[in-house]
Amino acid sequence: MSAFTAKICIVGDFAVGKTSSIERFVNQQFSEKYLTTIGVKVDTKDVRLNNLNSDLKLVIWDVAGTERFGALEFSYLRGAAGCLLVADGTRARTVHAALHLKKQIEERYGKMPFVFMLNKSDLRSAWDVNEANLTELTAACPDFFETSAKTGKNVERAIEKLAERIAQNELSAQV
Amino acid sequence: MSLADEIAAYLQDSFVERHQPFCICVDDSYRLTDWWGSGAQFGFSDLQRGHDMQTLAPFLIGNLSSEPVILPVVSTPHTGPVEVHILPHGNDHFVLLLSKEDDHAATLVRQQTANEVRLMHAHQQKLIRKQRELIAELIETKAELELRRLEAERANLAKGRFIAMMSHEFRTPLSSIISYADRILEPDCDATSAQESANSISRASRHMHDMVNTVLDDARLEAGRKTLHERPFDLRSLADDLSAIIAPLAAEKALSFAARITAQAPECVNADDGCLRQILLNLLGNAVKFSDSGQVALVIDWAAGQLTCSVTDNGPGIALADQERLFQAFERGEQHESSREGSGLGLAISLKLAEAMRGRLEMDTDVGKGCRMIVSVPAPAVERRSSEDDALSPPDVRLQARSPAVILICDDDQDMRAIHEYYLGRAGYELLMAGDGQTAVDIALAQHPDLVVLDINTPGLNGIEAATLLRRRGFTAPIVALTASDASKLDPELFAVRLRKPLRMPDLLDKLNDLLRSSEVHI
Repeated sequence: MSAFTAKICIVGDFAVGKTSSIERFVNQQFSEKYLTTIGVKVDTKDVRLNNLNSDLKLVIWDVAGTERFGALEFSYLRGAAGCLLVADGTRARTVHAALHLKKQIEERYGKMPFVFMLNKSDLRSAWDVNEANLTELTAACPDFFETSAKTGKNVERAIEKLAERIAQNELSAQV
Repeated sequence: MSLADEIAAYLQDSFVERHQPFCICVDDSYRLTDWWGSGAQFGFSDLQRGHDMQTLAPFLIGNLSSEPVILPVVSTPHTGPVEVHILPHGNDHFVLLLSKEDDHAATLVRQQTANEVRLMHAHQQKLIRKQRELIAELIETKAELELRRLEAERANLAKGRFIAMMSHEFRTPLSSIISYADRILEPDCDATSAQESANSISRASRHMHDMVNTVLDDARLEAGRKTLHERPFDLRSLADDLSAIIAPLAAEKALSFAARITAQAPECVNADDGCLRQILLNLLGNAVKFSDSGQVALVIDWAAGQLTCSVTDNGPGIALADQERLFQAFERGEQHESSREGSGLGLAISLKLAEAMRGRLEMDTDVGKGCRMIVSVPAPAVERRSSEDDALSPPDVRLQARSPAVILICDDDQDMRAIHEYYLGRAGYELLMAGDGQTAVDIALAQHPDLVVLDINTPGLNGIEAATLLRRRGFTAPIVALTASDASKLDPELFAVRLRKPLRMPDLLDKLNDLLRSSEVHI
């Protein structure tokens, strides 16, 4: 059995639910109150990947929300093995912001695994993301999940999918 | 101490007081090799050399490199907001932590407020967008409702006109029927007068029958219930039949009438001849009705499986404004609103029939010069029907029983019973008569007739209940339904034939003869 540590970053526009998703994933908690993140919050979580017979310690960097990265935000992304892109289904522009951040990260750090979390699926009826947006999204990010930090829907699955992609990369590099 | 030294000392004291710097040193495996200052306020207590710092300082993971790394604001579950400087030093790394508590609180309030304002703005924009969409939808719905209201008003007016017109159309032949019937009942009415009166009653009632059929046809077409009955038929027979009806009408108005079939037309085509006949009768009838002089002409042409019939007249033509409207039910041209008789359904029905036949009906007209109506429908050429087919139902055998049989007639109307008794008796059938459903059931079960004709709307046991009861009691002979309603809605399992009133006696006899003949074959 293999065990290793990986740094991942969770990025997206402000108030899309990045911190709430991590709080749900790490501590199984959710708060309705919106509290903005300043700088970066770093947390850890051990993940067991049964299908790869592997343990992974995720060091999760929850980066303050932004539409585009400057030098400051890039400093937080250094050494990341993969990224969680988060957008808010009730604000279509946050989807475009997330895709733009993905492009910026790839330009700066090259290809790496991305998982897209389209959050607030508990408010599906209020979404202004249409079917065309969803098609565009799944084409850009095949690892796509409709999530809800509030109910917990798909949050664990999405983050474990990223962990799995990172572990696969790591294992193939070891071979 | 110089002033510069004093200021530098002041700044140093001030910086240390504000940021409470704490420094650790770790090797490449994140193990603590040394530390300086107090780390308690950063959650770094009980430190020991060799301690793995990955848990206490997870931000180190992936950030130990040969270049200095500065992380402006970092929080962990153990540490409040700190500024982190990671500086390479030989094989180790100095990690300098500076408290950002003071700045952080102010920045948090500022950023939180800014984000909440942006969120509110985004929400407001969304509401405004939604409101605009709703207003646009409301305007559209209002316009549509207004359109519907105008359409309904127009339809209502047209129907009102139709009812007034039909009332007139029905009253005329009805007056004729009443008057001639009264004439027959006069004591001085001789055989010749009675014959003439009967002819007039027959003509007037057939006219009323045609009018009812026209209105029902329109309703059927409107409901999409029209089914096509395609079969081979002679174009020459069609032209001759139409000429036989239209030529006398044209002659009454001193119009000439000509029907022509072009050389390339085949003898026989496959299509619904009944529908086509109805369309052409409507068009020819209109041409005669609206022409006061000149000629009415029918030309039947055919090319590549398409039959094209054109009806031309020298009438007043149709104004551009009326052209589209005339194809709608109950609409008539402005100049003919009240001057000519008619239901206002002819063209609407003809158009729907042409479309039901997968064809077209078009109009080519100039006001004052006449009108040309062109109907084209798919009609592939076929071999001429055999003489055996033509011999079906020869007119000379109508009104005669094909086999001796006993028929039970059930009708609550005494006059209808009498007319059935007269025609069917004269044709050679033995008759049993019943005035209600229960009597019909009793007679049928007692005397076992070869065929039963049931009026559906009878007092007490109605026709459907009587037929059901008969079948339940083992009665097996064919049962024929007669109804003034939609006969197709009756159960075909219960009734061998379903007929709609009014029905001409020769047609009824044809149906009964066929039915009795086929039951004999089955027996």
